[in-house]
Amino acid sequence: MSADRKTEGSPETRRVRLEREFAARQAKALAMGGAERIARRTAAGVLNARSRIDGLLDPESFIESGLFGVSSSRAEDRDRSAADGKITGFGRIEGREVAVVSNDFTVMGASSSSTNGRKIAHAKRVATQRGLPLIFLGESSGARMPDHMGSRGMGTLLGNDPTQYVRMRETPWASATLGLSFGSSSWYAVLSDFCVVRKGAVLAVSSSLLASLAIGEAVDPQDLGGWKLHAEVTGFADMVVETDEEALAAIRNFLSYLPSHCNEAPPELAVPEGSGADMANVIDLLPEKRTQVYDVRKIIRAIVDKDSFFELKPRFGKVGVTGLSRIGGRTVGIIANNPLSKGGALDTDACEKITSFLVLCDSFNIPVVLLVDTPGFAIGTDAERKRAPGKIMNFMQALQMFSMPKISVVLRKSYGQAYLNMGGGRNSDEVAAWPTAEVSFMDPTFAVKVVHGLSPGDAGFDEAFASMSKDSEVWDMAGAYAVQSVIEPHTTRDYLIRMLEVHRSRMTNGVGQHLLRAWPTSY
Amino acid sequence: MAECEAKSEVTGSVWKIVTEVGQQVEAGDTIMIIESMKMEIPVVAEESGTIKAFLVKEETPVTEGQVVAVLES
Repeated sequence: MSADRKTEGSPETRRVRLEREFAARQAKALAMGGAERIARRTAAGVLNARSRIDGLLDPESFIESGLFGVSSSRAEDRDRSAADGKITGFGRIEGREVAVVSNDFTVMGASSSSTNGRKIAHAKRVATQRGLPLIFLGESSGARMPDHMGSRGMGTLLGNDPTQYVRMRETPWASATLGLSFGSSSWYAVLSDFCVVRKGAVLAVSSSLLASLAIGEAVDPQDLGGWKLHAEVTGFADMVVETDEEALAAIRNFLSYLPSHCNEAPPELAVPEGSGADMANVIDLLPEKRTQVYDVRKIIRAIVDKDSFFELKPRFGKVGVTGLSRIGGRTVGIIANNPLSKGGALDTDACEKITSFLVLCDSFNIPVVLLVDTPGFAIGTDAERKRAPGKIMNFMQALQMFSMPKISVVLRKSYGQAYLNMGGGRNSDEVAAWPTAEVSFMDPTFAVKVVHGLSPGDAGFDEAFASMSKDSEVWDMAGAYAVQSVIEPHTTRDYLIRMLEVHRSRMTNGVGQHLLRAWPTSY
Repeated sequence: MAECEAKSEVTGSVWKIVTEVGQQVEAGDTIMIIESMKMEIPVVAEESGTIKAFLVKEETPVTEGQVVAVLES
């Protein structure tokens, strides 16, 4: 008789024994860090790693990879490292396959280890090879200690994957930062094409404790990496939400605009009823007085399909508005100047924001529409210190290398170099202008000062200003065919639907060249 | 009651203060208007609250990021 316990006994006994062992091991893995820790999170209104996956994916669609993974560095940790703290696998969102990594903070702080490093690498490899979006639900204390300590720890655990942090944007990455997030959890967050941060979470290189030890003073976690910092200062947060559930919904929504991979066009949706209903009066959203500001997002929402505008980084670089939308059911990236902020004068934050948005759209076959109303780039010592020339040229280069259709619509002001950055001349496939457009090298007020030496209130200023302003009207530019169309504002949506159809990338089935695919995810 | 600051996002000068101390404002309401680059650029309330104090007067020059009013929310 065989001594092998797996084959011992009758077939019936063996099956029962195998089922019991499987069930026991499965239950242990699914229990995560234990009922008590899970209960504490539930009481705090925070989802656990598995309920996050349930909230993210279509019901019953998750298939796990690595449920029985545990610590492989230290034998004493094997019994307390369910799924080794990072749950990975595949599932569907709106019927489309995705890959998921969900950090389980209840298991050793979801710290990064040898086994869970292999799990993440596998999820990335499958996503990249098979064309699946990859989603990171981030909450991790960073590198597992003491596994990483010493030269053996370093040699064994770090640097074994030369592509670990390479982004070639074969497929979209989306991340949510849902708690304390340090080390690789933060790296994957900022490497992603979309990064949503829940209020209360912290995204940083290392913990405030470690930062305090390093610099010898108390550091507030929110100052170190809270939502406000990333929404307003670093721009890492594409969106800020109040709850885990909202973060998961945001990822689902983000992915609805994108293809599953770079070799297909984005999905098309039915056009919602009521789309375009506000176009008749869209001109009323633009102030008559040229010195008055307005919120360009109202014009965007009127133009695009109803409720389809998905704004990115709304609190960062507010002079530039970026967001995904649909026009006629097809995904379109919107880039607009917002005069409500700084009069629409483009600053370095806005340049970075628009550049990164162009990279996203170019990588995933999304045409862009630029809505122009800018007096130019913000100038002065502060702008120069923030490396404005470099930022302006990054933006310009991204626009010129952008290989999907781009259509520029001048609503009001378009001056100087900003005219080029916002698609003027041959920098877009079509330039249209509202009759309210004014295009010139600089604002006529400044031009009167430079050319005539006159300021407002001086004798002769008004005449010189009128002359300088008249030359800025769009009709001369249309006469030279430097704008292809002057359109009545209420026809803008119809014009864009039609012109995006004309410029559809038929020769490549809607797929661009992806010349920006290796550009950074932050600047 | 928490205090919050309203800041000018541009360098320019205060053109017009359109609210008063003690006035209740909603998030997004214009508190004052800064003139910069020949544009009228509003300073808006980030949160709802009551205007507690103005730190500038009309025609005062302001710099980017300068606190121009304090609100109680």
